[in-house]
Amino acid sequence: MTTKVVMEALSPTMEEGRLVEWKKGEGEPVAVGDVLAEVETDKAVMELVARTGGTLLKQVVPAGATVPVSELVALIGEPGESVDNGKPARAQEQGTQPAPGRNQPTSMPPAPEPSPRAASGSAGASGPAVKPTAGQAAPSTPAAAATPAGAAAGRIKASPLARRIAAERGIDLTAVSGSGPEGRVVLRDLEGAAAAETPAGGRSPAASAAPAAAPAAAAAPVAPRIVVPPSDGAPYTDVPLTQLRKTIARRLVQSIGPIPTFYLTTEVDMERAWDAREALKTLGDGPKVSFNDIILKAVASALRQHPACNAWWQDDRIRYWHEIHVSMAVAIEDGLITPVIRHTDRKSLREIAAEAQDLAARARSRRLTPEEYTGGTFSVSNLGMLDIDEFTAVINPPETGILAVGRIVDKPVAHDGQVALRRRMRLTMSCDHRVIDGATGAQFLKTLKAMLENPLVLVW
Amino acid sequence: MSRRLLVMDLGRRAYQDVLELQRALCRERLDGRRGEDLLLLVEHEPVVTLGRSTRASSLPLPPAALEARGIPVVEVERGGDVTYHAPGQLVGYPILHLSEHREDLHWYLRGLEGVLIDALHELGVAAGRVAGLTGVWTGGRKIASIGIHVKQWVTYHGFALNVTTDLSGFDVIVPCGIDGVVMTSVAAELGSPERPERPALWDAARDRVVRGFAQGFGFGGTEWLDEDALRGVARSGERG
Repeated sequence: MTTKVVMEALSPTMEEGRLVEWKKGEGEPVAVGDVLAEVETDKAVMELVARTGGTLLKQVVPAGATVPVSELVALIGEPGESVDNGKPARAQEQGTQPAPGRNQPTSMPPAPEPSPRAASGSAGASGPAVKPTAGQAAPSTPAAAATPAGAAAGRIKASPLARRIAAERGIDLTAVSGSGPEGRVVLRDLEGAAAAETPAGGRSPAASAAPAAAPAAAAAPVAPRIVVPPSDGAPYTDVPLTQLRKTIARRLVQSIGPIPTFYLTTEVDMERAWDAREALKTLGDGPKVSFNDIILKAVASALRQHPACNAWWQDDRIRYWHEIHVSMAVAIEDGLITPVIRHTDRKSLREIAAEAQDLAARARSRRLTPEEYTGGTFSVSNLGMLDIDEFTAVINPPETGILAVGRIVDKPVAHDGQVALRRRMRLTMSCDHRVIDGATGAQFLKTLKAMLENPLVLVW
Repeated sequence: MSRRLLVMDLGRRAYQDVLELQRALCRERLDGRRGEDLLLLVEHEPVVTLGRSTRASSLPLPPAALEARGIPVVEVERGGDVTYHAPGQLVGYPILHLSEHREDLHWYLRGLEGVLIDALHELGVAAGRVAGLTGVWTGGRKIASIGIHVKQWVTYHGFALNVTTDLSGFDVIVPCGIDGVVMTSVAAELGSPERPERPALWDAARDRVVRGFAQGFGFGGTEWLDEDALRGVARSGERG
C-alpha cells in the first residue's frame, strides 16, 4: 500500500508552494508526525508532516520546485515496494487538508474526497505540474540534478540556501567542503568555490550529464543587462536609486571624485565606412557626409539598442531617456561647446550632416542659442582630424557617457587569415560608473563597433 | 472566551540567542509544556539574516565581508529573502498556536500587516499593503518586514518595524531581494532625525503594536512577563 503525499493548502487562498528542502531522503523510515519537507508560500515557511508511517519511497519533485496545491510530491509505503514513475499500482492520498493541529484527528489514512479547492484550484493541472522557480534553472544545473536522484547514500548535506545559491551559480556541491553542523555546506562555504570551478565543468560528473546546458552557461560570461522601463509617453523615465546603486555611487565618489569615470577602448575597422563615405560623395548633391556624421548616426542607433547608456545622473535617481539627443563637442576659439543634434536616431545621415555643419559653423561664430547646446543625452568628441590616435574625454554632466574618437590610420592587422593594411580607428568611451557599469558600457561599444564595421545597418 | 497574550520585552539582545529561545518556546508550545500565546519583543544588534528564498543577488557583499565589519550573517528557517536588523528596529516574534485562531497562513500574514498598519496610523504614518509583496509600505517605501516559520501551526519568527533604525545599514543588502526597495522608518517619515538610545518614540511604537496585536488577534488582555519569567524562559531555551 502506497500513500501519496501532496502539496497541502496552508491557507484557502494558497495556489502553489515551493518545496524548499527535503528533510527525509528516499529510503528513510518515516513515522507519523515526522517532517518530510519544508514548504514556502508568500513569506511563510511551513513544514509538510507525514500523516502515515512507512518508508519514503520517492521524492517526486526536487527541492526548489514550485508545486500547485494538491499535486503529488512524495510517496510513502513499505520498504522495497516498487514505484513506477510516481504512479504506484494502488495508492491512497494523504489528504489535502493542512497538517494536523491539535484540534484535528491525526489518523486519516483512507483517501478523503478531493476538496473543492483541489478540484477548482488546479484546473487542468493533471500532467507533471512541477515548474522550477523563475531564475532557477533547477533541472539543468549540476547541483540540482544531483539532489533528487542521489537517494540516501549520495545525499549532500547543505543548507537550503546554500543549495539554492549553488544551483544559481552552477557550483557543484560535491566539491565543496561544509563548515556547518555535521559538515553541512552553508552559504559561506560557497565563497571561492565558484572561482575554483573549471569553466567547462570538467571535474563535475553531473555536468557531463547535461552537456548542453552547463558548459554553455559557463563558457559565455553572462553579462547582466540593465532593463530600462519602456516609455509611458513621457520622454524619459526616472528610476529611484536602489540600495545597491546608492552604495556603488557613494563608494566610487569617495574613491575618484564627483564623477567616478572609467574608460573602455575598442578599435574599429573603418574600411567599409570609408567605402560608404566614398559612395555618398559620388552622389554629388547635398552636404558632404563626414566620418563624424557616420559616427553620430551609429552612436544614436547603438543607444537605441542600449538605453542604459542614454541616461542622466540626477543625484537620487537615474533618468533614462527615451529620446536620443547626441551632443557633439566643437572646438571654438577659447574653449569648446557641445551643440546637440536632437532626435539623432530619427534623422538620416544627410540630415545629420547638414545639421552638424550648421551647428558647428554657428558655434564658432558664437551664434548658438542655449537650447541648442543643452539637453544632450550622450556626447561625441572627435580629435581624429588633429591626428590624435586615441584619448579620454571628460563627461559632460548630467550626461553619463561620452565617446572619444581618434584618427583613422592605416595599420597592418590580421584580416581573413593574412596580414593586411586596413583603415582602423580607436574609440574610447568614458562612463559614469554610478550609472554605467563595465559590462553595460562594453555591450554598447560592441554594438557601435559592429555598426561602424557594417555601416549598411545604419540605413535599415 | 477571553485568552491572554503574554508579552515579553527582551530589550537589546543578540540575534542567535533569541533565535534559540524562539525555537525552544515553539517546541514547548507544541509538546504542551506551554499553553498560552506569547509575543516576544526585542531589539537586535546589527545582523543580516537570510530566509529560505534568499537569492545571491540580494547580498551585494559576501558574508565574510559583512562579518569583517562586525555584522553576523545567519541562515534561518523563516520565509522570505534577506533582511537586516539593527537597534531602533522593533522586532516581534509571536509564538502563536494558529489552531486556536485560524489554520490559515495568509490570514496570519495579513493580520500581522494589519496590526502594524494600525499602529503606524496611530503614530501618524500613513501605511498600507502592496499587493503581492508581504510587508508594510508607506509612499512606496518599505517600513516593516515580515517573515515567518510555522511548525505544525505554531508560529515563530515574525516582523521587524523600523522605528528609529539607522537606515544606512540597509545598504549592505538588497532588502527582501526586491531590487529598488527604499527602506524608511517611523522617525524618517515623521521627520525626527535624532536617534537617542531609546526615545519616547520607540516606547510609543512598542505599546501601540502590542495593543494592536492583542486586539487584532482577539486577545482579551495582555500580561507583561517580568524578569523572573524571562529568566525561566531563557533557561528553558538553554536546555533546548
